[in-house]
Amino acid sequence: MNGLLLASTEQGVSGAITGLFATMLVGLILCLALEEKLHAKKSVIAGIFTIMCLLLGAICGILPFDHVVVGSHEMTPANDVQGYYVVDTDAEHDHHDVVIDGTDDKELAGEDLELHVGGHRLEMPIYIPGINWGVIAIILGSSLFVDVTSKSGLFTWVAIKVTKKSGGDPRKLLFAYGIMTVVFSAVLNNVTAMIIVGSLTAVSLEKLDRKDKLLGFLLIEGLLTNVGGLLTLISSVPNIIVGTTAGIGFVTFFITSSPYVVVSTWLTLWMGARLFGVKKLATQDEQDRAAQLVASFDENDGIESWGFFWFGTAMLVLFIICIATASVLPGDIKHLGMGFIALAFAGLMLIRYKSEVDNFYRSVDWDLLGFFMALFVVIYVMEHALVLATIGGILETVLVDITRETAHVRDTIVLLIGSAGFSSVTDNIPLAAMLASILSDLGAPTASGSGTESGLWWAVIFGANLGGNLTPIGSASTLVAVTIIHKHNLHMSFVAFVKSAIPFAIAQIGLAMVYVLLFLR
Amino acid sequence: MTNIDQFVSAFKAADKPQFSPETVKLDSVAVVTDLASPDADRFHDDVRRFLGASSAPQIRIILGERFRDVDELLREIDKTPTDLICTHRNLHTQAPEHPYSLGAYVDVLTQVSTIPVLLLPNPHTTHDSDFAANNRDAVMAITGQLTGDHHLVSFAAKMTAPTGRLYLTHIEDEMTYERYVETISRIPAIDTDVARTEILQALLKLPHDYIRSCRNVLHDTYASLSIEEIVTMGHHLADYKRLITEHNIDLLVLNTKDEDQLAMHGLAYPLVIELRSTPLLLL
Repeated sequence: MNGLLLASTEQGVSGAITGLFATMLVGLILCLALEEKLHAKKSVIAGIFTIMCLLLGAICGILPFDHVVVGSHEMTPANDVQGYYVVDTDAEHDHHDVVIDGTDDKELAGEDLELHVGGHRLEMPIYIPGINWGVIAIILGSSLFVDVTSKSGLFTWVAIKVTKKSGGDPRKLLFAYGIMTVVFSAVLNNVTAMIIVGSLTAVSLEKLDRKDKLLGFLLIEGLLTNVGGLLTLISSVPNIIVGTTAGIGFVTFFITSSPYVVVSTWLTLWMGARLFGVKKLATQDEQDRAAQLVASFDENDGIESWGFFWFGTAMLVLFIICIATASVLPGDIKHLGMGFIALAFAGLMLIRYKSEVDNFYRSVDWDLLGFFMALFVVIYVMEHALVLATIGGILETVLVDITRETAHVRDTIVLLIGSAGFSSVTDNIPLAAMLASILSDLGAPTASGSGTESGLWWAVIFGANLGGNLTPIGSASTLVAVTIIHKHNLHMSFVAFVKSAIPFAIAQIGLAMVYVLLFLR
Repeated sequence: MTNIDQFVSAFKAADKPQFSPETVKLDSVAVVTDLASPDADRFHDDVRRFLGASSAPQIRIILGERFRDVDELLREIDKTPTDLICTHRNLHTQAPEHPYSLGAYVDVLTQVSTIPVLLLPNPHTTHDSDFAANNRDAVMAITGQLTGDHHLVSFAAKMTAPTGRLYLTHIEDEMTYERYVETISRIPAIDTDVARTEILQALLKLPHDYIRSCRNVLHDTYASLSIEEIVTMGHHLADYKRLITEHNIDLLVLNTKDEDQLAMHGLAYPLVIELRSTPLLLL
C-alpha cells in the first residue's frame, strides 16, 4: 500500500529522528507494561503516544500528507508500463503524482517506482490509512456476535452441562474445565473464555466446598487460555495480525496448530493436577454428595427462548464455517474478508434485540478497540520514521537468513524465545504488529507469496501467545484469572504467580519450540 | 455479557437450592394446659382429634398444678423425650386481661426449647375452641426466607392431611423493596427502571424455584397432597391475614427461632400475636 508513498518520504529521515521515535516506542511499551501502576487504560496510554507521534511526525516532516489512492486493482512497476506519464510534482512534500495517458513516452523509465493503475485519489486524514481496519472489523464484529450469542444462554448451558457431567469430582472437573477453556478460547476469545470458565469455577467450587482448590484451577485455566488461543486464526489478536500478514488460511492454521494444542493442554492439566494436588474423590459417599451438589445447577435457567437458543447455536456453527472458508468463498465475496463476516453475523444476531442494541454497543470493549487503532497509527508512524527498518536491520544481524524457505534453526529459536520473553512483560499485540511488519518488509516467505509460509511466522505466533503465561501481566486472560483470584480474597502476588506459572510456561514453550523446529520450519 | 460479574450472576442464578426432605418424628406429644378437669380432658381430646393420624399414640398431659414457673414446666417436659408440645397462650394468666400476649410460658418455650410448639386457640375463650373440628386440610408454611428451609417444609408436609392442600408461601416485604428502589433512584450510575424490574424478578424467582423443587420431591412421599405456591410482593401481616381467610387455613407453620437474637423471629411475632384463632405450629 505504501510503496509509492514511502519511496517519496523516507529519504529525508535522519538517524536522530529515528532515534527519537525509537525512544517513544520504548516509552509506549514500558507504559503498557506498567499499565496497572499508572492506573491508565491501554487506549489512553496508546492514544497519548499516538498524539505525540503524529505531532512530532508532522513537525519532522516524515509523514506523507498525500491523497490516498483507492479503487486501484493492481500495482505495476513503472518500467513495465507502456504509455505517457504526466508527472505532477508536489513541491511542499517533495514527491510525484503520476498519471498514465496512453502514449509511449517513458519519462520515468528506470526509476524504481510502483504505480497504482485505475485508482482514485482521495484526501484522507493521515491516521486513517495506518489502521488495519480488517483486524478492527474482526474484533468488533466477533465480540458483538459473541455478546449477543451469549444472551441465548448457549455458553452457560454448555458450561453447566460439563459441570454436571463431571459429577463434582475435582479431578474430572479440572480436566473438563481445562478442555472447555481451550475450546472457548479457540471459538470465542481468550478473555471471554476466561471470564466464562473462571466465573463458573468460582461458583461451582464454592458450592462443592472446595475453595482451597480455586487458586490452582484459575491459574491452570488462565494458562490454558493462551494455549487455546493458538488453535485458530481468530482465537487471538496476534494470530489475526501475524496469520493474515503471512497469508495463512483459517483451515491451515487450525490443522497446523491443533496437534500442539492437544498435547500441550494434556501436559498442562496433568502437571496442574499433580502440582496443586487435585485428586479424585475417594469414597462413594463423597462422590454421591458431590454429584448431588452439582445437580442443583439448572443449565436451562439462562435460556429465555429455546428458539433463540437453537438459532444462536446454528449461527455460531455457521459463523465458524464461514470464517474457516473465508478465503475460498465464491467470486469476489472472498475479498470482503473475515472482518465483513464477523460484522455481518453480529448484525444478523442483533436483529433479535433490534430495539435495545445500544445495550450491546455499550458492552463492546472500546478500550481494546481504541488501543488497537492507536497502536496501528503508532506503528505506521514508526514505519515512516524508519524505526521498524532499524529494528529489522538489527534483527537481520542477529538472524541468519529471514528469506529462506526452510527457516534456520537459530532464527526460529531466537524469534520464538524473543517473542515469548517480550510478551511476558508487555502486551503481545504491539510485538505481533511490529514483527509482522518487519518480517514482511524483510521478505520472510508467506503462504500468499511463495505458497508455503516460513516457520518464522509460527515462531512469532507461538512465542507471542505462550509468552503471556510467564507473568500475570503477559496476557489479558491471565490478568482476568488474577482478577478473579483477588475477587475471592486469595493472595497471589506477581512473584507468586511467576513461581507457580513458570514450570507450565517452560514446558509449553519448550514443547512449542520442538514442534516448530520439527514440523513447521 | 462480557464481564466477570455478569457471568458469576448467571451461574449463581442457575444454582437452584434443591429441597432435601427431613424426617419428622411425632412419636411423643406433651399437652400442656392450665385448665382444670374436665376442661383439661376436653382440651386433651381436642388436641388428639386435631392431630388425627399424624399424632403418635403417646400423648401425655401436663396439668397446670404440676408447674408454677417456666423452669418447673421445662423439667416436666424433659422427663420424657418429647417431639411436640401442644399448648395454648396465657398459661396461668387471665387471657382477657392480656389479649395481645403469649404469656411468659409460651414466650420462653419458643426461645429456650428446641421442641416445636403447637400453639392452639385459647380454650378459656369459648368461641376459639372449635379448632379440633378442622382436619388440617389446608396448611400454610410461612417464613421470611422460604428458600432452603427444609425443616419448615418437611414439618408442614407432615402436618397436612394426606389429601389436603399445602400452601408454600413467600411474601417479599414491599416496603423494604420500595425503600431500596427509592435509594437506587438517587444513584445516577444505576438505571432505576432496570433495577426495579430485575430485583423484583430475582427476589421472587428464588422461592419460586425452591417451591418447584419441594413439589417434585414431596410428590414421591405424599402423592395425594396438593402443593400450592404463593409467591408475591406485599405487606407481611396484612397479606398473610388475608391469605389465611381466603384459603380457610387450618394450621399455620412458621419459624420462631432467630440465630441473631433471643427474641422471637421478627416476622413471626406479630403474626403469633394477631392470629389468635388459628392453630400455629412454632418451629
